Amino acid sequence: MRRILAQCRKELLQFRRDRLTLGLAFLLPLLTLLIFGFAIRLETKVIPIVVQDFDRSPLSAAYTDRLFATDQFRPAPWRGDDPVADAIDRGLAKAAVIIPPEFSRRLKAGQPVEVQVLVDGTDTNNARVIRNSIQGTTAFFLSEKELLTNPPPVQALTRLWFNPGRKESLYIVPGVYAVVLWIFPSLLAAIAMVKEKDKGTILQVYASGIRAPELLLGKALAYLLVGVSMAVVVMGLGGLIFQLGFAGDPTPLLVGTTIYLAAAVLFGLLLGVRSANQNAAVQGVSLVGFLSALLLSGFIYPLSNIPPPLSLVSALIPARYFIVISRDAFVRGTGWAGVWLDVLMILALAALLYLVTLRSLGSLQLADGGGGGP
Amino acid sequence: MRILWHGWRVLVASRLWALLRKEVQQILRDRQLIKLLIIPPTLQLLIYGFALNPEVHNLKLGVVDYAQVAASRELVSALTANRIFLASSYPSSEQELARQVERGELTAGLVIPPNFSKRLASGDTARVQVFIDGVDANSAGIASGYIQQILRRFRPEAGVLPPTPPVRTQVRFLYNPGLTSSWFFVPGVIGLVLTLIATLVSAVTLVREKDSGTLEQLLMTPAGAWEILLAKILPLVVLLMGDVLLALALGRLVFGVPIRGDPFLLLALSGLYLFVGIGVGIMLATVCRSQQQVMLTAFFITLPMVQTSGAIAPIESMPAFFQALSLLNPLRHYIAILRGLLLKGVGLEALWPHALALLVMAPLLMAISVSRFRSQLS
Repeated sequence: MRRILAQCRKELLQFRRDRLTLGLAFLLPLLTLLIFGFAIRLETKVIPIVVQDFDRSPLSAAYTDRLFATDQFRPAPWRGDDPVADAIDRGLAKAAVIIPPEFSRRLKAGQPVEVQVLVDGTDTNNARVIRNSIQGTTAFFLSEKELLTNPPPVQALTRLWFNPGRKESLYIVPGVYAVVLWIFPSLLAAIAMVKEKDKGTILQVYASGIRAPELLLGKALAYLLVGVSMAVVVMGLGGLIFQLGFAGDPTPLLVGTTIYLAAAVLFGLLLGVRSANQNAAVQGVSLVGFLSALLLSGFIYPLSNIPPPLSLVSALIPARYFIVISRDAFVRGTGWAGVWLDVLMILALAALLYLVTLRSLGSLQLADGGGGGP
Repeated sequence: MRILWHGWRVLVASRLWALLRKEVQQILRDRQLIKLLIIPPTLQLLIYGFALNPEVHNLKLGVVDYAQVAASRELVSALTANRIFLASSYPSSEQELARQVERGELTAGLVIPPNFSKRLASGDTARVQVFIDGVDANSAGIASGYIQQILRRFRPEAGVLPPTPPVRTQVRFLYNPGLTSSWFFVPGVIGLVLTLIATLVSAVTLVREKDSGTLEQLLMTPAGAWEILLAKILPLVVLLMGDVLLALALGRLVFGVPIRGDPFLLLALSGLYLFVGIGVGIMLATVCRSQQQVMLTAFFITLPMVQTSGAIAPIESMPAFFQALSLLNPLRHYIAILRGLLLKGVGLEALWPHALALLVMAPLLMAISVSRFRSQLS
């Protein structure tokens, strides 16, 4: 135990001495949080569209006004007579609505009218949103002008839970916590481990007679402390900036974050041990950590959309469980009843990472390190 | 012809040629570099292409049906017909439904009131309650739009078709009529992968040489600093062009992403963009003293570059400030070029602003970072 603490103290001292890394270690997560928190929005609000009105009647003008009445669409800078497909080709407009001649006359005569809508399909998510929104607005326009022959018999009173204003930051920011608190602690730990090998100080470690579990726990403890202070800074400032308070019992988050950080640090140490030089270490962390945390964790798009072979991989990713805990703590507020399984899963994965790292350390020829590799 | 031959002989005899040969040999011996150029881009492209899918479907729906009549059951099947919702539980009460939504077991809830059939029969509008878990604001918005749309068409009496609305919107999706989501992501990921690889590879190579002092050894030779750097950069460009081809081939073969524009323009602009990535890498190498710092700062630069580029989340949905800022992001322009050339099949007549932006940014970045690097060396 004493040796673990000594190793931890030594590690922290070394970490503190490198001023630049220290600054980066706290500044970078914060900046990442700000950029991600402010810049990632999935729902497009003010979509530029072109309305080409061949009818030029009061009714078609009212229809055009209806389309622009919500904050969903804005007129794209495009002259009325040019072919509308060009506007979409150049990316100036995302959709074009073409109102045919005789729109008003046919409507008044009770004949059906076809309005042509061209939607830029490159961004598939927004293409669907645009289609639904134009169709919805058209239906609203018809009922407003009392042109519907018989109104729909069933209406839905829709209520959004937990997030009635549909603020996207409530969805994104707790996810950003998971990404930031995975990438940066593991990156720091991986680099520290690799540095030991690069600079040859690992020989001194051999000579000191410290055992593998002690070395591992000492290093992990040091970077866990770094990670915890990082978490306090990131979540504290994130809470202030994005106005995110605890929605319920904060204890699952406290316990979950600590275990999650431990898993991140162990993962970093494992990568550090495994890779022969720093180049590979970084690649390892960048690839595995960045990719997995970002994509297979449900950070941006729903987990249920990941197809079978990859969804099995996503079950092994701690960030996925931490996002559930974090969203629950800041948005839902269910507490232990909703997230106990996720906390347990992170704990299990952390334990697994510890065992694997310990085995890999064996190749480093520590006192009881099982021998083996060079 | 003779001039060409003469030029060739001058080139072969030059110091630059000798340096180039040395660099190429060094790279070919570096197995790790080769692996790095092949494995991460392939993996990233496959994972991103398969895993990123913004579609809203199979949302778990809980139904509390107080009416229990044929019409209410028909309403449920209308909502679940196109797989947007999946009726996964039938709780007995609203409280039970609420509890399941809170625990995240359900994404949406539908409550059909007892007077449902009575109101329908009397010709009144029947009102049902719908709850949607709003944590995922984007999906919740899309789901609520779908519910409105389905209910507009819903007619409870069997055999009665919904009346044709007086205005029919005939929607056509351009460029990607099937709305295959990988077609949106693959071009973005190609840009992302190239940025990450080009930056990391060039920064790490240069810092490693700075660390080990081999650059100083080269400087002792009669070769000029610019020759040394050029000899380092050119082979990297060639190797990274291989990555461009690899990524395009994967996109085509695995995801069926079309290449509708001019392939030569695509390669030329990709080559131009590589200089941006390498320029950022060299810049990093000048700022950082150790590889440790390179990594941290490389992440710092590439992550926001990716996030504000429209690779994953659309640019139009960002706040105005970030949209303006993203104009300075070369990756944004490159991805616009990729999507334009691959999916839209447009040429320079539509893409010139983006091409121009790259044409300004790439040499500028290169010039600044190379001159910084040179002044550090001498």
